[in-house]
Amino acid sequence: MTDLGDLDRPDASGAGRDGLRHRGAPTAPPPGRPTPAGTPTAGTPTAGTPAAVGTSTVAGTPVTAGADRLTAAGHGSRTGTRTGTLTGTRTGTRVDSRVGVASPAVPGEGPAAHRRRGAADPVKTLMHRHRDLCERAVDPLEIAAGLEAHGLTDRTAARFRHRDVFSLAEEIYARVPRDTEPPLRPAGNPADSPPPALRAHVARVLLTLLPGLLCAATVGAVRLTHGQPHLAAALAGALAVTAAAHAALGSGPLGTPPGAAAHPSRLATPVWTYWLLGYALLGDALLAAVLRHSPGTPDAGAVQGVWSLATAPVLALTLALAPATWCAHLFTGRAARRLEASRGLAEFTAGVRPLLLGTFALFLSALAALLAGCAAVLGEPAPYAQTLALGALLLPARLLVVHGRARAAGAALGAAVLAEAAALALPLSGRLPGCAFLATPVESLVDSGGPGIVPVLACGAAALSLLIHATRALATASAHARPVKSP
Amino acid sequence: MRIGLLTEGGYPYVSGDTRLWCDRLVRGLGQHEFHVYALSRSERQEDEGWVPLPRQVNRVRTAPLWGPGHASRAYGRRARRRFAEHYAELAAVLCAAPERADAGPDGVGAGAGRAGVALDGRHVGAGRAGGRQERVGEHGRGGSTSHEADRFANALYGLAELARDEGGLSGALRSDSAVRALERACRAPSALREARTAHVPELLAVATHIERALRPLSLDWHEDDGLGAVDLCHATSGGTAALPGLLAERFLGIPLLITEYGVHLRTHHLAHAGAAPAVRALLAAFQGRLAAELYRRAALVTHANAHARGWQERGGADRARLRTVHPGLDASRFAEVGDRADGGDPATLVWVGRVEPTKDLVSLLHAFAEVRKEEPKARLRIVGAPAGPEGEAYLGHCRALAAQLFPDEADGAHCVGDNPVSFEEVGGPDLPTVAEAYAAGAVTVLSSVVEGFPLGLIEAMLCGRATVSTDVGAVVEAIGGTGLVVPPRNPRALAEACVALLRDPERRARLGAAARARALELFTVEQNITAFHGIYLEIVAHSPVRRVVLGRTGAPLPFAAPAEGHVPGHWAGPAGRVVARGGPRGGAVTPSWAQTTSLATTEATR
Repeated sequence: MTDLGDLDRPDASGAGRDGLRHRGAPTAPPPGRPTPAGTPTAGTPTAGTPAAVGTSTVAGTPVTAGADRLTAAGHGSRTGTRTGTLTGTRTGTRVDSRVGVASPAVPGEGPAAHRRRGAADPVKTLMHRHRDLCERAVDPLEIAAGLEAHGLTDRTAARFRHRDVFSLAEEIYARVPRDTEPPLRPAGNPADSPPPALRAHVARVLLTLLPGLLCAATVGAVRLTHGQPHLAAALAGALAVTAAAHAALGSGPLGTPPGAAAHPSRLATPVWTYWLLGYALLGDALLAAVLRHSPGTPDAGAVQGVWSLATAPVLALTLALAPATWCAHLFTGRAARRLEASRGLAEFTAGVRPLLLGTFALFLSALAALLAGCAAVLGEPAPYAQTLALGALLLPARLLVVHGRARAAGAALGAAVLAEAAALALPLSGRLPGCAFLATPVESLVDSGGPGIVPVLACGAAALSLLIHATRALATASAHARPVKSP
Repeated sequence: MRIGLLTEGGYPYVSGDTRLWCDRLVRGLGQHEFHVYALSRSERQEDEGWVPLPRQVNRVRTAPLWGPGHASRAYGRRARRRFAEHYAELAAVLCAAPERADAGPDGVGAGAGRAGVALDGRHVGAGRAGGRQERVGEHGRGGSTSHEADRFANALYGLAELARDEGGLSGALRSDSAVRALERACRAPSALREARTAHVPELLAVATHIERALRPLSLDWHEDDGLGAVDLCHATSGGTAALPGLLAERFLGIPLLITEYGVHLRTHHLAHAGAAPAVRALLAAFQGRLAAELYRRAALVTHANAHARGWQERGGADRARLRTVHPGLDASRFAEVGDRADGGDPATLVWVGRVEPTKDLVSLLHAFAEVRKEEPKARLRIVGAPAGPEGEAYLGHCRALAAQLFPDEADGAHCVGDNPVSFEEVGGPDLPTVAEAYAAGAVTVLSSVVEGFPLGLIEAMLCGRATVSTDVGAVVEAIGGTGLVVPPRNPRALAEACVALLRDPERRARLGAAARARALELFTVEQNITAFHGIYLEIVAHSPVRRVVLGRTGAPLPFAAPAEGHVPGHWAGPAGRVVARGGPRGGAVTPSWAQTTSLATTEATR
């Protein structure tokens, strides 16, 4: 510890503390003091009487002796050093000195110590000894608490001519020079936590890739099988992908914060997400079939067309979980670094907003690339607009959930789901007698842009509003506050 | 009487802080009914479960102080504005610099100048903590500081009312508007010097801490069927734990008793020593003002020793409402040893405690070396387990030192030798109980350099042992005049005192008997429980809760509480006499006939 070496600097003669101890701890009592046989009580006249049992002893102990007082004051706050630095070498020397050196009694040991201890300004010595505490303190009470933790009591404070520790701390606080700006924050910064181990990193990457791989396997199995195994493979694959996605979203940058409060919208969000993915899988074909299939003309081809799956977008989206996680990691990490560096909230917001938009664009381009690849491999058309709109909705929704703004995410997803469900339900209800007008908007919409226009509009509008909300909500500092550890 | 016991990380939990004391209190006061309102500190604490509760605990309500808090619905515009107003006020009070600039560097120097600073500083401290009006009124700044305290209180109660009306304060306290309010307050021209250095992470840290500290505001405890149903709130620590009691006092008129075994303000300062300066400054201001408000509102505040009392007075507690209640130990464990006539082995010194560096065993060993020169037959038994890895290292070091200082020795040439210093632990065949450990020696030594309330010393006193201890912490207060006290870090003085006792068996016996009598009088569980029982009765007698008694139909029952039951003002206090001349002041009207009669009687008795 640093103050070991510096402790004796204020002393006039420069004699080390251990040196003082050697001299101040003679094997025989000094002649100027009563022999131990005399005992502390021997000095007081009422030693033998029972009435004086305690008071005399307290008074008889060297508490009142001036020299001892100072020595004790000098020693009074050494706990820190001693607790920290009881190394073998130091005690070794001390032991040797105690055992080996049978030093003769030093007459007038007290006054010598008095002089050597720099008695001119004991408070200055004390400040020097605790200068870390004193310079750091922002409140006199902080100094008082720190001094007390080092064993200073009101009785010790009396040696500094103070009534109690508080007034001593007040003096110290007033005397500590405060010309320089206080340091911004202590050296050990919690933000500079060591990066996770490579193994954990690899595990996390594999975990985020797992849903995509499982989805690819499922698509392959579904394509290769027919009949009963076909259905079984599809169901098993869907379950496996769901489980893997849950595992991947359980932790990491896209994982929900631990111990987050259970909010109704938090439970609804996954349901909405699955609905949206399901619609991407078979919604367009279903809508087309519903519109094509007019009542009274059962058409085998139409029924067949209902179950034609658009696997490319779903595969691309599940594969995009990995780039999404990486993007979220990038965003969170950059935002945290910016948080540490920002002086004001406005500065932070101004810096984070482009970061968020950049992250977002990065994710969309990754998704587009994945979709192109999947469509090429599967030999399906690549519905860019639908998939990108859905991706643009899902990423900000997830980011908002992660940063504790689950309500808005749930609302946006819910609105998109509602719009898609309405697009399916309205043509069906239009078949009821007298309700044909209900089907008209959807029919005209699909006529103009094909069945894909419905998810594009639903997800696109929701994504746009959510994105606007996210640029506001995720750019605030409170969204990036770290949860405090419980004491 | 129904008592609401408020704890934070405490009583019903197995790993609670003051659960032993609370358990004894609750079991000892079986004639009362207890409702426990507990805040848990961590998930682990909640998982570990509760201690078995006695029958008189009728109700336990818990809430977590950890985790993200209540998910809450968003506020409407009006509620948001209300919140922003109150929070801005709170932040402004926290950031406001206390006026102590004039106690600045002109105090540098010795002697008289320093004394002046000290005096001045003391006044500033008392005023800053928002103490009583009359006390801070002594100097010119009293008005402004008490004004600040009122602003803090108003902001706090404003937030509480908002939480009661609208709910969901937790989310708002973490929201961006809260952080923005903090930033604005920190950038204000009159803000604290440290607050001005606050950057975004510091602002967030402060907002998070305040959210956690104010979490009781969002709870539904201070309602008529919650804390409204008790006669008295007993907070077992200051700070957040006492906050529900404060609100119950403010909104429902339930009297509040605060017991602080470790002063919350001091603990806070020690716990946050590593935080950034701005965080420390703002949180210190928050905790200081909260403590002042708690002390101001509490009917009584109790502490265990003079040291805690000093902190409470410093925090703004009114001296007249402070009570010392010494902690109690179970005396029955030590009864057998205490009543035994033998004074233990007359040449043995015993040290009992947890081995850690603040106990300064090195000093003790050096002192024992001195003792051995005077009394070659003396032995030292060090009984205790190490505390933590630091304690382990320290114990090893002490063993090595003992082996170096004292060679093994034997009675004769043909015996196996032994070291005069032995390190033991309670629980072995030699020392089955702590009481036996104390009984083994004639003198018990305490050599600590830092000590709170020395429970080990109390145990030695209960065992009827003469003690030599260092003058640290509350040792002098505990020992009174029944043992020897020497300065800390003074092995020679320690040795001299030990030798004096070793050579004087009669004095040992006298001191031991006196110590046992003192401990039995002051430091037993029964004394502790009786003291709290008395305090409960005192508080309820002085500030009874007035409730509207409802009849069978649900309508308020007229004359359910007789008018005679209400005595305006305090009978004994000076305020009671001032109310005389009958103006319609707060219902405290004395009829003229009563006035004259009472005057006449006083005249007659004179």
